[in-house]
Amino acid sequence: MSDAVISASGRTPVRMEVNGVAETVYVEPRWLLSDVLRHQLGLTGTHVGCEQGVCGVCTVLLDGVLVRSCLLFAVQVDGHRVTTIEGVTPDEGLSPIQASFQRHHGLQCGFCTPAMVLTAEALLRTHPNPSEADIRDAFSGNICRCTGYQFIVDAIRGCSEEER
Amino acid sequence: MTVRFEQSKPQFTGARVERAEDARLLTGRARYLDDLDFPGTLEVAFVRSTHAAAKLVSVHAEAASRMPGVRMVWTAADIHVTLDSPEFGVNQPVLAKDEVRYVGEPVVAIFADSRYAAEDAADTVEVTYADLPPVLHIREALQAETRRVHAERPNVMYHQEYQTDGFEEAFGNALHHLSATFTLHRQTAVPMETRGCMAAPDGATNRLHVYVSHQSPHGFRADLCKFLGVPEHAVRVIVPEVGGAFGIKAMFYPEYVVVALAALRLRRPVKWIADRSECLLADCHARDGIHDVDVAFDGDGRILALRDHLMGDSGAYPAVPFCGSIGETSLAARMLTGPYKIPHLSFTIDCTYSNKAPLGAYRGVWGPPASFVQEGVVDRVARALHKDPVAVRRINLLQPEDFPYRTASGFVYDPGSYAESLETALELVDYDGFRKRQREDRSRGVYRGIGISVFVEPTAMAASEAGDIPYEAATVRMEPTGTVTAALGLGPSGQGHETTMAQLIADELGVDVRDVVVLHGDTDSAPYGGGTGGSRSGTIGGGAALTAGRKLRDKLLALAAHLLEADVADIELKDGAAHVAGVPAQRLTVQQLATAAYTDVNRLPEGMKPGLEVMARYQPTRPITFSNGTHIAVVDVDVATGQIQTVDYVVANDCGVLINPTIVEGQIHGGVAQGIGEALLEELKYDTEGQLTTVSLSDYLLPTTHDIPNIRIRHLVTPSESKGGFKGMGEGSLIAAPAAVVAAVSDALEPFGVMVSSMPVTPDQVLEWIDADQEKKVDSVDSKVYFEN
Repeated sequence: MSDAVISASGRTPVRMEVNGVAETVYVEPRWLLSDVLRHQLGLTGTHVGCEQGVCGVCTVLLDGVLVRSCLLFAVQVDGHRVTTIEGVTPDEGLSPIQASFQRHHGLQCGFCTPAMVLTAEALLRTHPNPSEADIRDAFSGNICRCTGYQFIVDAIRGCSEEER
Repeated sequence: MTVRFEQSKPQFTGARVERAEDARLLTGRARYLDDLDFPGTLEVAFVRSTHAAAKLVSVHAEAASRMPGVRMVWTAADIHVTLDSPEFGVNQPVLAKDEVRYVGEPVVAIFADSRYAAEDAADTVEVTYADLPPVLHIREALQAETRRVHAERPNVMYHQEYQTDGFEEAFGNALHHLSATFTLHRQTAVPMETRGCMAAPDGATNRLHVYVSHQSPHGFRADLCKFLGVPEHAVRVIVPEVGGAFGIKAMFYPEYVVVALAALRLRRPVKWIADRSECLLADCHARDGIHDVDVAFDGDGRILALRDHLMGDSGAYPAVPFCGSIGETSLAARMLTGPYKIPHLSFTIDCTYSNKAPLGAYRGVWGPPASFVQEGVVDRVARALHKDPVAVRRINLLQPEDFPYRTASGFVYDPGSYAESLETALELVDYDGFRKRQREDRSRGVYRGIGISVFVEPTAMAASEAGDIPYEAATVRMEPTGTVTAALGLGPSGQGHETTMAQLIADELGVDVRDVVVLHGDTDSAPYGGGTGGSRSGTIGGGAALTAGRKLRDKLLALAAHLLEADVADIELKDGAAHVAGVPAQRLTVQQLATAAYTDVNRLPEGMKPGLEVMARYQPTRPITFSNGTHIAVVDVDVATGQIQTVDYVVANDCGVLINPTIVEGQIHGGVAQGIGEALLEELKYDTEGQLTTVSLSDYLLPTTHDIPNIRIRHLVTPSESKGGFKGMGEGSLIAAPAAVVAAVSDALEPFGVMVSSMPVTPDQVLEWIDADQEKKVDSVDSKVYFEN
């Protein structure tokens, strides 16, 4: 999104903590959080799949809670803490959850994958040893068109406390 | 000279190697199309037709031109390119001219500084339509008096007839006959990443760079250059990370021409990313056909003759470069006998235009309809004769001694494990135990059914939706450090080709799989190839990787033999080094060999050229190799709510030699999930005016974690004649699965006389059947057999 024409006067400052860094972004009130993360902050690991709140591909953590970034305006997160896939990725290598996805082939095209990893982060924080039913419930709002989910479920089980 | 290698076990081929692709995908560092951004990029919003069939009375876009941030507005008056289909005499203007023929057809293109600005401007465009009666159903389109979708062409755009010699006699003489109509609904692939493209003039080379989420980089370039009227060396196509494709991204679309021409006109980057509604409206659609079927069979259930009138809805235009209705019908017709020894076949095909979106490719093109018919026929014969569906399959299935087998349509099947796959799947699912438990379940009012689908998948075809390129090409280059860079013309979208191709090349060159980088998707780096589609990449692409790898291996061996002063037959190449057999100390690392090949050329043997780089093409000896297998689904049907739940699923799969079993299993899981979606959930619905009413994922239902059970897989291996023994397998699971699922529903609801004949089967449909059965209080078993929904 180019800044060339959109006049600065129509913009509002949004202050948020993104992946542990304080950011101030000047946005139009109608800009979606997903667009601001991707195009203003360059955090393109957050993907956009439907902009209708159905597919879950744009999932991020807001104050530690899963939200769909396509259903929020950026102005709504002023003063809040946003975590994207970039924020749960270690400087070197993969997080235990990411490594488990790789080990279990829990991804194919990868487009839904960052959202899946964040959903796993949220689930495992509250349910360190989820049952298969827990996992299927937790991921029921994340559509994957490639994997048929089985290896995703295996990946989550593979990084539960019991398995580690 | 390579006998020794043939005897050693490959280190990586056949192993469950973790994917090279995963790290960037898991960390969000992958670059999909919309992640690319160049300074000054304009974004596009299309104004699309809101009418199915109408004359364009006026298009007023002047107000849009004056909106903030808008740089250009195009209507049909500004762009005269048409997507030509000379064989049909029908051309689609890339922006609708004079008439619109489907809801979602692009009418106006707006180029602005942001998508927000472009969409604001789109809202100001005023289009006046004069409605025409829309043509929406195949049977209606077949009537001569129906209005023509294209005034100058009849609505029947494709017709074909075929019959085996002696068909009528065989059909007429049979003891039993039955008829059924099978109806396939309209679907689309719905990859999670939407479609799109970006075009950017490249100042350095004076070429146009086109970034596109696509399956066939070279095929796309050929089509784009043809429609733009520019030579192919003036366009570089770059396919970034692709977030799923499934056939819809094998196609060419009007938007691509608009974006490319605008970039050339404005001399700046132009990007269009479809939103989800645009995808459901204007990605190519799939299936949408009718089969009127007659079957002749004997008292044992042996099927003697099969007749099908296949009807396919092409939509408003023949999709480029692959008309889906013809693909869905013509290949279905030829594959209709599937794994069964049915000696006589007769078919008639009619494809018709309609005022719906063009029909193109979706994974398994032809397969789900054909399997639905083929397995539906077997199940109907079984029910008519009060036989178990397994018994009728066993009596009709091809046996090992039947191969190579020439089908009634003239295909020649290479060997497969048809009968064995059925027995394997039956054992996996404990079929006999299931039948015992089913009787008890029914007595308790629990309706659990089992459905079988034995499939044959023609793969690695000379022609498919990936085009008519019967070969694939690979360059393999060992760098001076001994690491390897390979490039292929494939267009993967999650299949893991960077890993599987590296496995094959690493084994040929005796290096670690992590030392092989596989490039693809860039017409500057990749040799000309067909791309990904029609389950061809593993077999044909893999053959190319093996062929190129072998040529490079031979050069390495010759070089090593010369430098080690040994006979080439005594050189072993593995673990990153060449050594003389039995003398491990007499060795050179591949890095030492590579350095010599590039920089110490005086040491090369007489006649050997410097460098370590080869390009090779591979074309399989057979025009098709056939994969096979058996799927068995178990479903629970709640007769109070109509809900259908798939509770168990087994697959016996034979795709020849496996390159990476984990990746094969992932493909099977995904195909089964899409098959369950096809059978029970997904449907593109047009209303009576031709409005698509399923334009969000709240309306077009995709399978979630709650819809897909765990799938148990057993691999069978019947190698093909192809190099490496591979067969394709990208589509077989979606080909087989819908038929298995609906057969399970029919089986579950057998007490209600249900035999499914149209998809998807929804809870509403189930409740209708239950209600109808209650009202009927049927008096004879036979009257139930052909209860058609």
